[in-house]
Amino acid sequence: MNHQPFEEWQLNDTHLTPTEKREFDAHLRACAHCAALTETGLALRSARVVAPAAGFVMRFQGRLAVQKIAERRRRLWGLFVLILAGVGLIGWIAAPYIFAVISSPVEWLTAAIGYFLYLVTSLQAFGDVIRVLGRVVPDFIPLYVWMVLFSTLAGLGLLWTISIWRFARVPRGVAV
Amino acid sequence: MSEELAWVLQAQQGSDEAFTRLVETYQTPVYNLCYRMLGEPESAEDAAQETFLRAYQHLHRYDQKRPFATWLLSIAAHYCIDRLRRRKFAMFSMDAEDEDGNSFELPDPDSPDPEAESVKGQTRDQIQALLKDLDDTDRAAIIMRYWYDYSEAEIAESLRLTVSAVKSRLHRARKELAGLWQEEEMRTNTERRPHESPAF
Repeated sequence: MNHQPFEEWQLNDTHLTPTEKREFDAHLRACAHCAALTETGLALRSARVVAPAAGFVMRFQGRLAVQKIAERRRRLWGLFVLILAGVGLIGWIAAPYIFAVISSPVEWLTAAIGYFLYLVTSLQAFGDVIRVLGRVVPDFIPLYVWMVLFSTLAGLGLLWTISIWRFARVPRGVAV
Repeated sequence: MSEELAWVLQAQQGSDEAFTRLVETYQTPVYNLCYRMLGEPESAEDAAQETFLRAYQHLHRYDQKRPFATWLLSIAAHYCIDRLRRRKFAMFSMDAEDEDGNSFELPDPDSPDPEAESVKGQTRDQIQALLKDLDDTDRAAIIMRYWYDYSEAEIAESLRLTVSAVKSRLHRARKELAGLWQEEEMRTNTERRPHESPAF
């Protein structure tokens, strides 16, 4: 049986003229499919709205409180594990040096001064190189390259700031 | 500024009291959607509570240009769809064993459940029994259309679909419901016949 246009009328909630209505009613008497479509349409439109059991808001408040406590506990544990891991890592890296200091302090002190002097002289040399480059290089680099360079640096800086902001922000619903 | 928007703004600034007002206002629409999606009062209660928790946690993402109800029901619908998918996945992947490792038979979804049948008869809420046979997203679209009078554009926004996809889903779901309705009617007539008096 051809269900058109009666099926489309129903599915699109078309407003019918009196003539169309008569045709539609006649079709419904003969077509079980379209009759079922009408009945389900009526059932859907008359279906009741189901309300939750009394005390829903109180149960939600209880659940929210539990969630907040769990979240706080999770954060504290996370912090504890992070600190423990950090201290462990620093201890593991520093252990040989600590043992060296304890076993032969003079030898270690001499080595430390040597490293310090090496670091200072290296930094001075690096500074000199940068100063020389700073005087020489700008003449060779065109203006647009500088613009690209500074734009990239500014973009990276912005990205870094946004990342810090996103990670540092505490989501709603989490007790601080 | 509407009272509702004022509550939303206050809640966004950390007022639990304002959020409680929103829960009071929307508990029934959210619960009804969850009930119509999941079909069980216990699951619906849990899903509605979870919807409000998620709304609370993501309130900073709420776009004030959208109606709050649409945003909230969108969270509820997506949560229910995910939950139904997980349930289906669990049904397929489960090794038919309980917590103690004992085997049990999975209930046949097609077999008549006497309790459900009885409740259905009492409440006359036949449409609920038919809804469970629809695709999850189609069901969400039907519920939004017929229980909340959402336009196709609003449903599309809530379910992250195109308007044409919503229209086609609604048509498909309505036809499927009609087919199921016919089957149900035929089954009921066949069951009634043996008990009928020969005089009739």
